[in-house]
Amino acid sequence: MKKNMPPDELARDGRFVRVNMVERISDPRNGRGPTGGRVGARLTPDRPGAPDAARALMHGIFVGEIQALEGAGRTCWDFEVGAGSDDVPFQLKLDMARQCWDEARHCEISVKLSEWMGTEIGEFAESTFLFEAACNPDPVLRLTGVNRALEGLAIDVFNTMKEFGNVVGDPVLEFCEDWMLADEVTHVKMGSDWLRRLTVDDPERRKRALEFQRIVDKLFSGGGFRGDDEDSPVHLARRFREMAGFTVDEIDEISDLARQARAEARARTAGATAGAAAEAG
Amino acid sequence: MADPKKPRAPFAPWDRRELPGTFTVEETAKRVGHYKWVEMRLFEALGGWVATVPELDVKMRLGTHCYKHAWHSELWHKRLPELREMNPDRLTRPPNEAMEEFFKVLTEPEDQGQTIEKLVGVYRVLIPRKIAAYTYHLNNTSTITDAPTIRSLKLALNDEFEDWRDGEMLIQALIETDEEVERAAAHQTRLEKIMLRAGGVAGPGSLGSVPETMTEEVPV
Repeated sequence: MKKNMPPDELARDGRFVRVNMVERISDPRNGRGPTGGRVGARLTPDRPGAPDAARALMHGIFVGEIQALEGAGRTCWDFEVGAGSDDVPFQLKLDMARQCWDEARHCEISVKLSEWMGTEIGEFAESTFLFEAACNPDPVLRLTGVNRALEGLAIDVFNTMKEFGNVVGDPVLEFCEDWMLADEVTHVKMGSDWLRRLTVDDPERRKRALEFQRIVDKLFSGGGFRGDDEDSPVHLARRFREMAGFTVDEIDEISDLARQARAEARARTAGATAGAAAEAG
Repeated sequence: MADPKKPRAPFAPWDRRELPGTFTVEETAKRVGHYKWVEMRLFEALGGWVATVPELDVKMRLGTHCYKHAWHSELWHKRLPELREMNPDRLTRPPNEAMEEFFKVLTEPEDQGQTIEKLVGVYRVLIPRKIAAYTYHLNNTSTITDAPTIRSLKLALNDEFEDWRDGEMLIQALIETDEEVERAAAHQTRLEKIMLRAGGVAGPGSLGSVPETMTEEVPV
């Protein structure tokens, strides 16, 4: 078995539909325009199309959990135990194996929740952008991308779904999201701790890792899908992020990145609209 | 209530534990080092395969089992210094070259259509061998002096039995044609032959006696 598997080789059964990120976020059931700009709002029951948006988000969580499972598994396989820059400590691999188990449970939970919400596997498409964070050949950058950016996003998403479950009076959804949230706080804390330990004598590598995280965090902000703004569908879960080792300054930075991503998405939308109008004219 | 000052036997009548055991401290450390090496290679392979299997139920099971074997490797890693091996990496090694070859062949299947081979290698060859070696160790070590190893063996064995059952049921559910039966058997045979040369997960003597046909352990 080779090391460093590319995202397009992730194995799926015939029900899954693979698309790129632009195609996925252009799905009108998500409440987005064709260029990816948000036309929806915070996920609340009174929002137009809220049931579809919630089901789409849950299906996204499900495929995201599969990719998180695969990413943690590949980290167990891709790196040797050792002290070299391409190696990882034994304990880090054990943590990744533990994460595999947790993510496998999350897959089980989210597929059952999807059923509970009336969704079938493959009803919404899958893009592999989450797994791409798990493809960095530098173990420190990979860990930062997965355990700080991807799992940090999971904290925000699960907190949002937990709140949604509470508002709509769905105790099963709220209960399950709360359990998954506990695991994700653990995973992010793992990432924060390992980043600190592995780069204690290498500030340059830490800088590179945090820069990689910024890039991934901006990507994961999804044009303002996740952020601090009132109408962001997924809000930054500040309290849980702090529990997981993020400083207030780091959370503020993610918030700023999300605003930038949102402004850029709006500019793209405006550009596309103007272009279409010019063509029509 | 009985008189608290009345002398009692140090071992209750139902406590049949004995002092003698088959393994010295050094022999135990060596076996434990092999166990750790095998558990590590196994959890790494299971983790790597997760992304390569399209069957959702198998994918999730491999993720779960990956952690169990990582946890076993941690148990053995922690046991080594207690057996006077202060550098656990020194004894974390395969018993011989055949065992290295075994894992090389075990992890060869990679394609999406080779889930049967992946599962057969683990659940029809390796895990039964682990159950055998752990059980032999459990039944032959000193039940008093080596109680910490016994506890770890029992914890690991509990997982091994559960995982073996999970894996075997997945294999039975996946095999639907004569051709698939033959594929499974062919891969099992190939791996069994290498395992035979290795002498089991702890090398020759994994189950006590060393067959006459088997040469002495070859250090790696």
